[in-house]
Amino acid sequence: MQAIDRIVFGDNQFFGINHMSQEKAQQLSEQFFNISNVYQVYDVAFEAGIRAVMLNSNDRAAVICDHFRENPRKYGDIRWYPSIPYPHKYANLVAEKGIIPAINEVLFKHNSTGDILGIMAKGGIAVFSKDALMVMQMLVDLEMKMFRGLDIKVVFLQNIITDLILGYGVRAVFEGYCDYIRKRYGALPGLITQNMPFLKSKLEEWGIGEVVICSSYNKIGYLMSPDVESYVMAARNNDPSVYQLMAMSTLASGAIPASDAYDFINRQNIQSVVFGASSRGHIRETVDLIRI
Amino acid sequence: MPEIKLAIVGAGRMGITHYAIINSHPDVSMVSVAEPSPLVLTLMARYLSVATFKDYRQLFDQTHPDAILVCTPPNLHFEIIREAGRRGIHVFSEKPFTTKFAEASELARYFTDLGLINQVGYVNRFNDIFCKVKEYIAGGLIGKVIRFKSEMFCCTVTHRDEGSGWRATHECGGGAVYEMASHAIDLVNFLVGKPEKIVGSSLNHIYSKNVEDAVSTTLLYRNDVSGTLYINWSDTSYRKPVNKIEIFGEGGRILADQYSAKIFLNKPAESWSLHQGWNTIYVTDVFKPVPFYVRGNEFTRQLYHFVECIRNRSAFSRCTFSDGADALEVIEEIFTDYELHGRI
Repeated sequence: MQAIDRIVFGDNQFFGINHMSQEKAQQLSEQFFNISNVYQVYDVAFEAGIRAVMLNSNDRAAVICDHFRENPRKYGDIRWYPSIPYPHKYANLVAEKGIIPAINEVLFKHNSTGDILGIMAKGGIAVFSKDALMVMQMLVDLEMKMFRGLDIKVVFLQNIITDLILGYGVRAVFEGYCDYIRKRYGALPGLITQNMPFLKSKLEEWGIGEVVICSSYNKIGYLMSPDVESYVMAARNNDPSVYQLMAMSTLASGAIPASDAYDFINRQNIQSVVFGASSRGHIRETVDLIRI
Repeated sequence: MPEIKLAIVGAGRMGITHYAIINSHPDVSMVSVAEPSPLVLTLMARYLSVATFKDYRQLFDQTHPDAILVCTPPNLHFEIIREAGRRGIHVFSEKPFTTKFAEASELARYFTDLGLINQVGYVNRFNDIFCKVKEYIAGGLIGKVIRFKSEMFCCTVTHRDEGSGWRATHECGGGAVYEMASHAIDLVNFLVGKPEKIVGSSLNHIYSKNVEDAVSTTLLYRNDVSGTLYINWSDTSYRKPVNKIEIFGEGGRILADQYSAKIFLNKPAESWSLHQGWNTIYVTDVFKPVPFYVRGNEFTRQLYHFVECIRNRSAFSRCTFSDGADALEVIEEIFTDYELHGRI
């Protein structure tokens, strides 16, 4: 399996996402209303030596992708780690309309005629009952459209989806997703989860390897089910040629000071860290602190 | 000990989420699902090893579950739950439990008499921060409660509808009061107690044709305690749902949401490790990990609690049908108050 980047620059800060404080989230949302402020932060991250970006497929991400695509000389060597889908888009649609109308709307209302023809060629929504995996492929393609032409290294499935399917224990969906990402995008399949030890054990049981697993990983065990000890053990016993592990939420939404957080992270058998920050100082400090 | 045979009635958004969570419980065996959508049934039959039914009665007849999770539209809950009780089945019901207070009270009495475990899905009662706030209030941290403000916001409904679907009428349990205000009302009932009287209710239509998208009201108590409620499910300034509660007491003030709480105290409270003036606690300070996470610790905790109550009959159920009936009583009073006084 091709090695992933040791440090990946995340995106929560750009989209008004702060799991701990709504005031902070609002402030970030204002700060990054002007998209050029987003690009400036990316430039700071690249100056600090980062060459990899994780980006969730929300509406603003499409604009960000355009910017990077339009400047190939400056950004051509950046490696991309998209995460799909943007869960709140689906959550709100499903809450408002129900599951099937929501999928219908996503597939048909928000797309150009060309996309819809492509979907119809695959059989349209009617194939759902016969082949759910084909519908999954259509949804993946729609989410991935904005990343066209960029150097895609890993395509991550968001944790709400990964963990839902994990709860159901449906091997076929994981197999289908991983195969499709490899074949269609020539990229490594990635799974974001809040249940890393359990997911890893199920993937092993099912014989699904060469996958990147991204999970919260911090010394206080925040968003780490069932507990920190199980994560440390799972990482310690992991063969990185089968599963590469990526840590997120390393500061536990700011609950852990950066030096303490990476003191812990640097002692773990993990291959990569994804972090987000919006100031030059924090970005440089974090890059310096990561010694995995 | 034999596994608990569990079934889900209604595999919409909540049923689908609950399935993934409870399926991870080592003491539970998922046996069956009842759901009218042929598509969902086909997928479940194809990918999962559960029996699937269009009708819940057939599910009861053929798979004999020990317990069910009821996740259908709320106007269907009453018949399903009564039938489950008749057959001696423990029930977890999604909120708002039923659409009528009288039916809710009947079910609460029925299940208590039968000695069956009964729980309603008011998930805030299992949230780390709100549980901590409950400890503070019950422990007298801010003294006697005098005023409060309970609010909930999200951007769930942001387009005009045609007035169709089960969310579109009160009879079906649709609208911001049943769907969302029920959470904010239950949080008040949980932390402060059930109000004696409702006044000043107003409802607003923003996008929905037949039901309200926003609601506010005033809740009155004996002993000069009162509070207000404001819920808006069409507020696009919120990226995801937020529950906020602010409680003013003789000894200080608490402002909390699902992720953090700010506490102002007139005097230090050493036993709580809180000082005079402002204190902040974050969910990272008080969380307890759950065995399996899908969409928030509280969702796992409430279902594992249901299983724990079935396993250990002496366990104290933290959100019973009686609690669900209390919320519905307040809801009905809001609608009555609005009909009588809410319009010019």
